[in-house]
Amino acid sequence: MAKLRPFTMPKWGIEMSEGTVAEWMVAENQPFAKGTVLTLIETDKITNEVEAEADGCFVRLIAEAGQTYPVGALLAVLSDGGEASAEEVEAVIAGFRAVDARFDGSEQGVAMPPPAIERVREIPDGLAISPVAREKTQAAGLDVADLHGSGRGGRITAQDVDQALRPSVSPHLVGVLPSSPPSSCFATPMARRLSALHGVPLEGLTGSGPRGRIRKADVLAAIPAAAAVVPSSGGVEIIPMSSMRRTIARRLTEAKQTIPHFYVRRRVRADRLLALRAAAAGEQRPSVNDYLIRACALALMEVPQLNIQVQGQDIHRFASADIAVAVATERGLVTPIVTRADDRPVAEIRGVMAALIRKAKAGKLRPEEFSGGSFSLSNLGGFGVEQFDAIINPPQGAILAVGAARPEPIDDEGAIRVVPVLHLSLSCDHRAIDGADAGRFMAALAALIERPELL
Amino acid sequence: MAVMTIREAILSTLHAEMERDPDIMLLGEDVVGGNGTAGGPEAIGGIWGTSGGLFARFGPERVIDTPISESAIVGAAAGAALAGKRPVAELMFADFVGVSLDQIWNQIAKFRYMFGGRTRCPAVIRLIYGAGMNTAAQHSQSVYAMLTAMPGLKVVLPATPADAKGLLTEALRGDDPVMFFEHKALYGVKGEVPDGEHRQRFGEARMVREGGDVTIVACGRMVGFSEKACDRLAADGIGADLIDLRTTSPLDEEAILDSVEATGRLVVVDESPPRCSLAADIAALVATRAFTSLKAPPGLVTGPHSPIPFARELERAWVPSPQKVEAAVRRVLAFR
Amino acid sequence: MQLSREALIGAYRRMATIRRFEERLHEEIKTGEIAGFTHLYAGQEAVAVGVCDHLGVDDMIVSTHRGHGHCIAKGCDVTGMMLEIFGRAGGLCKGRGGSMHIADLSVGMLGANGIVGGGAPQAVGAALAARLDGRGRVAIAFSGDGACNQGTTFEAMNMAVVTKAPAIFVFENNHYSEHTGDAYAVGTANDIASRAEAFGMKAWRADGCDYFDTHAAMGELLEHVRAGHGPAAIELDTERFYGHFEGDPQRYRGKGELDRIREERDCLKAFRAKVGQAKLLDITDLDAVDAEVAALIDGAVAEARAAPPPDPETVADDVYVDYL
Repeated sequence: MAKLRPFTMPKWGIEMSEGTVAEWMVAENQPFAKGTVLTLIETDKITNEVEAEADGCFVRLIAEAGQTYPVGALLAVLSDGGEASAEEVEAVIAGFRAVDARFDGSEQGVAMPPPAIERVREIPDGLAISPVAREKTQAAGLDVADLHGSGRGGRITAQDVDQALRPSVSPHLVGVLPSSPPSSCFATPMARRLSALHGVPLEGLTGSGPRGRIRKADVLAAIPAAAAVVPSSGGVEIIPMSSMRRTIARRLTEAKQTIPHFYVRRRVRADRLLALRAAAAGEQRPSVNDYLIRACALALMEVPQLNIQVQGQDIHRFASADIAVAVATERGLVTPIVTRADDRPVAEIRGVMAALIRKAKAGKLRPEEFSGGSFSLSNLGGFGVEQFDAIINPPQGAILAVGAARPEPIDDEGAIRVVPVLHLSLSCDHRAIDGADAGRFMAALAALIERPELL
Repeated sequence: MAVMTIREAILSTLHAEMERDPDIMLLGEDVVGGNGTAGGPEAIGGIWGTSGGLFARFGPERVIDTPISESAIVGAAAGAALAGKRPVAELMFADFVGVSLDQIWNQIAKFRYMFGGRTRCPAVIRLIYGAGMNTAAQHSQSVYAMLTAMPGLKVVLPATPADAKGLLTEALRGDDPVMFFEHKALYGVKGEVPDGEHRQRFGEARMVREGGDVTIVACGRMVGFSEKACDRLAADGIGADLIDLRTTSPLDEEAILDSVEATGRLVVVDESPPRCSLAADIAALVATRAFTSLKAPPGLVTGPHSPIPFARELERAWVPSPQKVEAAVRRVLAFR
Repeated sequence: MQLSREALIGAYRRMATIRRFEERLHEEIKTGEIAGFTHLYAGQEAVAVGVCDHLGVDDMIVSTHRGHGHCIAKGCDVTGMMLEIFGRAGGLCKGRGGSMHIADLSVGMLGANGIVGGGAPQAVGAALAARLDGRGRVAIAFSGDGACNQGTTFEAMNMAVVTKAPAIFVFENNHYSEHTGDAYAVGTANDIASRAEAFGMKAWRADGCDYFDTHAAMGELLEHVRAGHGPAAIELDTERFYGHFEGDPQRYRGKGELDRIREERDCLKAFRAKVGQAKLLDITDLDAVDAEVAALIDGAVAEARAAPPPDPETVADDVYVDYL
């Protein structure tokens, strides 16, 4: 009986990881003598002949000429000369296991978990922990078993305790930036980036760095000069951004750059809502917006997929609807929050909103009154805007933009009637919300606006 | 632009520079290969394939096979450089720097300074380095941090074919000694290489990726690993400035500090043990010069404080990997 | 010196074990399962065995990157070596060292060495330690025609002479330092022993493909050294049956060179012919040894293949005996 062996991709030189079978020099089942050239193998370094080390023949050629295979891959089945049945050959092929000789940096099963610390109630004397860390742990009543020691042998440092004591954070991410365009100018990477960002060409700048390298400061110094050459009619007033303006700019830039927005639009008849409002008592009459806050809150209870915040890899879904309402002030946009709007009747929302707007205009909102929120509402109807799209207010997942009610024809159970119609546009974070969720929310919201007695 | 491997970029650059400058000479173990054998000279062309054809073109006075005598190889390069030539000496494995260390450490590095700036020693020592191929404790090390610590040496680590050409050309045109590190796992890496003369200044880092959340500093093979990590992080909206140092001496401090000032976070990836490493050096630079910008302690991705082991499972645990870089970035981002 | 039947069988077994071990590795390495790079000793068996057959377990050797033969000849466990080369947790060095870094101090094998010329100075130190112990032990440095060109080897020879250390420098000239011929790289016209003589020690020359010639010369040499005359050297002319490392395409070899040396310079063939002609042993005895050796190596490979890899968490163990 023939002795069968796998014939594999050889390894010439330690850095060889793969080779190309350039050509088979013998055919299947063609006997060959020791020293016969069997195949030509190409690497990126050399092309080499593989000679037979003994008499024999290939009972199966597996590798195809011109194809590349990793070192150790099965190229053919070699016989010492005897014949072999197809079953025997298949058995060799089935029994062959290639070795993973990769050196591409991929890891398999080498995760190194942090050293485990035995669960203890008291801090044992022998535990590896710094004196300050011990004090802090005891003062905070922490269980050392909950601490991850970052030092050698799992020793716990004060920093480790500080980390355990602080709430987890989702960092504000800036995300990937566009690559700076290539330039032959000798400049630092930051200078290149700023040059592209501000449209200040590097060419012509004098570098103040070593050997004339253009650096960050050189580009920044060139920016006002570049702005001044923009022609303007009748002069220009330069208004430095306030810190609030800069914050708005930063947050909205970040939101628009990093959140994948999608938009769902719907028009909805408002005649019944306006009639209901008109019937309310004079002084205490809620605004259209107050009704819409309530409508959004109830719709969010029906479609909780939108009543969320997106925190890193996690979606935080809330039990009650905290609606942030965009309010224009002299200083800029603020978004005070009507908490638990689903629990409050419209009349109560009116009161809450009135107080918030007063404080907002006076600049007296407390941080907790404009932080958080599970949804936003922005209404520009008061300015006659018919419809618009809004930018999501992170970490929330969605914002509703509402325009002015204006008369439009609608299909009212077969009759064409002209009634006041609102244009709604919902912006959603597609990382957390799908189109179907948005559609269902809009349907729920439209149903509430069209039957305002439910509010 | 031609597409070629780092191996081809080094060989073609040596070829072109030796054509241009008759003072360039090459010496090392088996840089010709086959001398004194039936197969004859150039049966090998350098065990790394980086000197094939040079002997045939430039002859035995410029392309010199040496016995296995690393101290004499590097010392001879020192002497030839003092005598006005531009020797390129190859250490087949960077680990053999141990055998030849005096000639580098006490001699080549110090001539110019000791002799009052009145001399030059333009020796280029090529050191083939790096782990990942199970060559164990004496054939896998990355000794660049040690040589970076020695004033007088320039230390160069190309990560791309274009940089291999640009940096080697620069080394052969300059008048200072250059430690030119070639990672054995990178020889087959392909990329575009500018045609004609291409010089890459030392001390000018390459911004490989741009992003606002973290600065990753790497060199050599660790650059590609960090790129893989960046891809995975980008899927989660995390953007990184990835800086390929190209040279660790001179060091592009400005590129690192500018970036950290913008991102507030630093991860350094270094294929060596952690103590007195490049990672430690860069963390110290940032901690001393950009402390107020930091939002988290620097993350260091290095091997453990041990020699490099042989077995695949152990070596994989030793060498930094894309996964370890990614984990370090996430740790730094989660700091509170 | 007339060798006993047991001694002859034992010498043959050790040489055959080395040969079989290396031939099997040559096959196994092709599958890619064995990592890193491996330098095979096949062809040089008469040197390792001819030298080490004179040594007690207390005598010490330092080896080279091509060290499997020295390990086996000095008594390292063959299965433990195979596990080490396969990178297994149960290997002689726990999978940390691999082919190039096998050591077993319990049998006087102070270590294979990845650095050419790294070992010779260590043999001088081991010899000075042996002299301090006063038990007549010796230390042997195996070096090739490559290492004979390292400054470390020169320094070691001179220091051994001036300190009269019982150190022995065994130069195995297989005619290739990696891919370069000794005709090019060894400046003393291929003669390494003369270098040792120039440093002031007595040197022997013998055929390293002939067990009996090597064994006899080594016997004289050891008598000289153990008598307290300081260091000595021996140059052994031998052959490397495989490449510098596994995967070396060996383009520097002449046409038919490998076939010729395997035909004319095979120490195992020569051994069988000599003992057969002199009727010292029955050839069937040697065939039986071959079968035992084959079974030993088969078993070692099977065990190595089935053995578990090292635990990655142990990667930084064993750096120090004691560290905080």
